[in-house]
Amino acid sequence: MDQKELHALEALCIQEEPPGCQAGCPLGVNARAFVQAVGKDDLAGGRAILEKSMPLAGIVARMCEAPCEQYCKRETLGGAIAIGRLERMCIEAVPSKAKFLKLPPKSKKVAVIGAGPSSLALANDLAKKGHPIHVYHTESGPGGWLRNLTDTVLKLEVIDQELKRLESFGVKFHPVKVLDYALCTEEYDAVYIGQDDELAADLLAMIGPADGETCALDQKGWFTGGLQAEGDPYRFIMAVSQGREAAISIDRFLQGASLTASRVKPRNGKTDLFVQTKDLSELKRIEPADQAGYTREEAVEEALRCIDCQCLECVRNCVYLAEYKSYPKVYARRIYNNSAIVKGVHQANTFINSCSLCRQCEVICPNDFSMADLCLQARQQMVVEERMPPSAHWFGLEEMKSAQGESRLLSHAQDQQDSAALFYPGCQLAGIRHLQTVKLYNELCAIEPKTGIWLDCCGAPAYWSGRQEDFEIMVEGFRNDWQSMGKPRLILACSTCLKLFRDNLPEIESVSVWKLLAEQQLVKKNIGKNALALSDPCTSRDDVETQGAVRSILQQLEQPLAPLEMSGKLTECCGYGGLMAGTDPALGRKVVEARVKQTESVMLTYCAMCRDRLALTGKPVLHLLDLLYPETALEAATPAESISARRVNRRRLKQIMAERCGKDELPQRYDWENIELVISQALEIVMEERHILEDDVRRVLHDYKQSGRHIAHGSENRKLASSRIGAATFWVEFYEEGDTFHLLRCWSHRMSIHQPDTGGR
Amino acid sequence: MDLRFLPEDMNWICQPCGVPLEPGMVELHYVGNVFRVELPVCPQCRQVLIDEELALGKMLEVEKLLEDK
Repeated sequence: MDQKELHALEALCIQEEPPGCQAGCPLGVNARAFVQAVGKDDLAGGRAILEKSMPLAGIVARMCEAPCEQYCKRETLGGAIAIGRLERMCIEAVPSKAKFLKLPPKSKKVAVIGAGPSSLALANDLAKKGHPIHVYHTESGPGGWLRNLTDTVLKLEVIDQELKRLESFGVKFHPVKVLDYALCTEEYDAVYIGQDDELAADLLAMIGPADGETCALDQKGWFTGGLQAEGDPYRFIMAVSQGREAAISIDRFLQGASLTASRVKPRNGKTDLFVQTKDLSELKRIEPADQAGYTREEAVEEALRCIDCQCLECVRNCVYLAEYKSYPKVYARRIYNNSAIVKGVHQANTFINSCSLCRQCEVICPNDFSMADLCLQARQQMVVEERMPPSAHWFGLEEMKSAQGESRLLSHAQDQQDSAALFYPGCQLAGIRHLQTVKLYNELCAIEPKTGIWLDCCGAPAYWSGRQEDFEIMVEGFRNDWQSMGKPRLILACSTCLKLFRDNLPEIESVSVWKLLAEQQLVKKNIGKNALALSDPCTSRDDVETQGAVRSILQQLEQPLAPLEMSGKLTECCGYGGLMAGTDPALGRKVVEARVKQTESVMLTYCAMCRDRLALTGKPVLHLLDLLYPETALEAATPAESISARRVNRRRLKQIMAERCGKDELPQRYDWENIELVISQALEIVMEERHILEDDVRRVLHDYKQSGRHIAHGSENRKLASSRIGAATFWVEFYEEGDTFHLLRCWSHRMSIHQPDTGGR
Repeated sequence: MDLRFLPEDMNWICQPCGVPLEPGMVELHYVGNVFRVELPVCPQCRQVLIDEELALGKMLEVEKLLEDK
């Protein structure tokens, strides 16, 4: 990803777009932050936010007609937030603490003819930049029509206070009898004509049409503003806004810069921020008891109606995105920076490696922002650059290796020389529901006797972990395997396998087993059962056909469904996808905990991994096969299968299927398989957490039995043995009772031990 | 990294050597990095003990640190 691609990606995430109120403010005041501050009764903070963007805040906050309120998302939900009234209350309630900084004085002088609101705003902005400002006003005093207002609207002392502040910035005020052309002498480098004051006819006659963007007049160095007629609903604030725009132009003009280059245009309420309001209920606008304005308490209450407009659509629905406390625009930058680091700590590695790649964010985002693409590309880059942490996806990759190795089987059906179809159950169904897999295979053979079997892993862990080259080699191998079987149709039980085959081997006719079953006459009735909440696996997100087939099966079984909002296209990951749970087990756990809380009903799914991940929480969860084949059904409360049992189940399934198909290729038996273990329940949990298999322990103990090498405690009946297996060293603490090993503890580490002078072990 | 990792309980006998483990220097290797550390070692066959606390504490911490570099 280069800078340009990063910017394109950042632009898709609209969370930093201004809320409607800010976009609708001619001065760009951050009204959302202001109202939020008032809602917290932080009026000093509120005032500081106003003063950041408002010139002459004492006057503007009291006088603004609040065009922002037109864009408030509360409008149709009880009425727009009374931002104008809140500003007035705030500015009256707390004094200014702002320290106004002035830049060093400059030499070019500016004449300001007229002293209405536009002129005062302009004088404020230019004086702060260090320009010497000379304001000409009539004898009634600076302020123009502001001086004619009643005290309840604007007190003269407020105006005088702001004028005093202007004088402190070096603004010079000159009273004159008439505001005429004679004032525009050559000693000034720029002239501003404020039309919101009483100008003489000869000067008015000089003013042609002004440029809409820059406020420039035909005469070089002349600018104007304050064009609103009396009676205009936004007369005051638009005049201030024009004064501000003219000030920007004059500042640029005096520096000899372009008046228009990269000039930020007023948004006039336009923003791309998406705000979801469907779950909000109406809240009526707070009316002040005294029409003069809000009390502090009323203001706080009114401010608390603020929606605090944010997009965060993806973050609200994704535990992973919420975990890192920001949003995709920031995440894109973080990942870009992480990739750019040559030396130093890559703090975003875990972040990049724990996205489930489930793509829910793409569906939810109004602009289809994809965290999956972002994270997957970053992972692929890490692998290519050889800086992928070896432990990040280790266990998932080990599972893959085992399923593609010792548990793999590819065979025609019994007594068949060819296959019309091949059943590909996937490694998780094989590991979690091996007996049901056999049952399912029998059903498929009843439909089509020439249905062969293909036990394997589709390579998802390689793909998810960014090992693209390895994955492509696997895909090539799958193509060869399929060709060697006579290019039969593939029947898949796992949504992940199905998606990866369809995406990478489009020449293979791949169909979901559920689609095939939905087309059969299913006679089994499931009468009298409670409604189940159907959780689609995340890799079925775009597979409308399979999702529809599952619902059709359930309809045939007369199984009622309970509502689950985030399903179908919006469905959520179980925390296994993308190898999330491998990289960050605690996060994977949070993801399933959040998922099961979305329904009170017993859950149902058609992905074996989802079934067991959801069941980890203690939630009752059924697999579709439990409904289809009651004779092999497991209870919804059945605990998740352990990682150790999955390995064993896969080997067993291979054995059953090999025998069933008349294949000699029985799984290899290992010497260590017969070692008898006694493991407490507590230790089983620890082993699961540490990804230590019973297979690993048996191998360590087998090594010990072979070599006799171990470390014995000097006074207690405890022994330690260890072996290096793959990328880790496994340690087992145990005692023996006959041929049985009682495990006390086990742990592993990845660092390898070497003698300073000899080789490692 | 503290270079001395001796467990509180040093009462361990190497088998089949039959001699108690003693503090000794060994190297720990990970992703191209090498650390020399003092661990319980058999003075005869050089068998090393890495206890649970070390493996899941300091060692894991350093492994993670090295991986994210």
